[in-house]
Amino acid sequence: MIYKVSYVILGGKQKGGIKNQNERPKVGDQVRFGRGIYEIIEVKEIMPPREDFQFLHATAKPIDKKQTGTLPPVEPEHDAAQ
Amino acid sequence: MQELVEVIRHIEIFHGLNDAQLAEIAQITQREVYNGGDTIIEQDAPGDSMYIIVEGQVEVLKRDAEGENQTALFLGEGQVFGELALLDQGLRSATIVADEDPTVVYSLMRDTFDALCLADTALGYHIMRNLALDMAFKLRHTNLDE
Repeated sequence: MIYKVSYVILGGKQKGGIKNQNERPKVGDQVRFGRGIYEIIEVKEIMPPREDFQFLHATAKPIDKKQTGTLPPVEPEHDAAQ
Repeated sequence: MQELVEVIRHIEIFHGLNDAQLAEIAQITQREVYNGGDTIIEQDAPGDSMYIIVEGQVEVLKRDAEGENQTALFLGEGQVFGELALLDQGLRSATIVADEDPTVVYSLMRDTFDALCLADTALGYHIMRNLALDMAFKLRHTNLDE
């Protein structure tokens, strides 16, 4: 099964994203977008499953970077306008 | 070739295609590798290709009223970008920057893609349906993010 997940960051100031993953996201998991690291606080189905795909929506909140032992270090932000 | 077929078999927009059709797609895709910070496409530039992310992540940036790039969202493995210009032949609607080292994408050129869809309308139907579903998912994501 492939899980296509729409991640939205609580508060709306930071942007989440969309990614496919082989494991269903769970509350408490960590996810990274750009320089931000976030903790999943809710997961729900966004569209009915189709064949090998499940379509999920996850809400996440920013977490303290000191708590991110399970993720690799965050690289310095690049110049997006180059 | 078989290795590439196995990679694209698990990409959503090619779901429903048989082995022969997947092999046809594999023949017209171009593998491209980017480093974090590399610009893959520029907003308002002409575009004639669509991209599928097979490794890494990209940042989607849109210019605001002051001309500053603002992050709209991030797209990870299995996601598609550049499809609007491929479909409507308009200018690129966003700037796409690689966010991870490496970011690996497969590109599909409009002309070869259109020719393949015309030559095999069942293949074209599957891909267009899957692209429509992908755009619906992105729209739902955008609605939830507002």
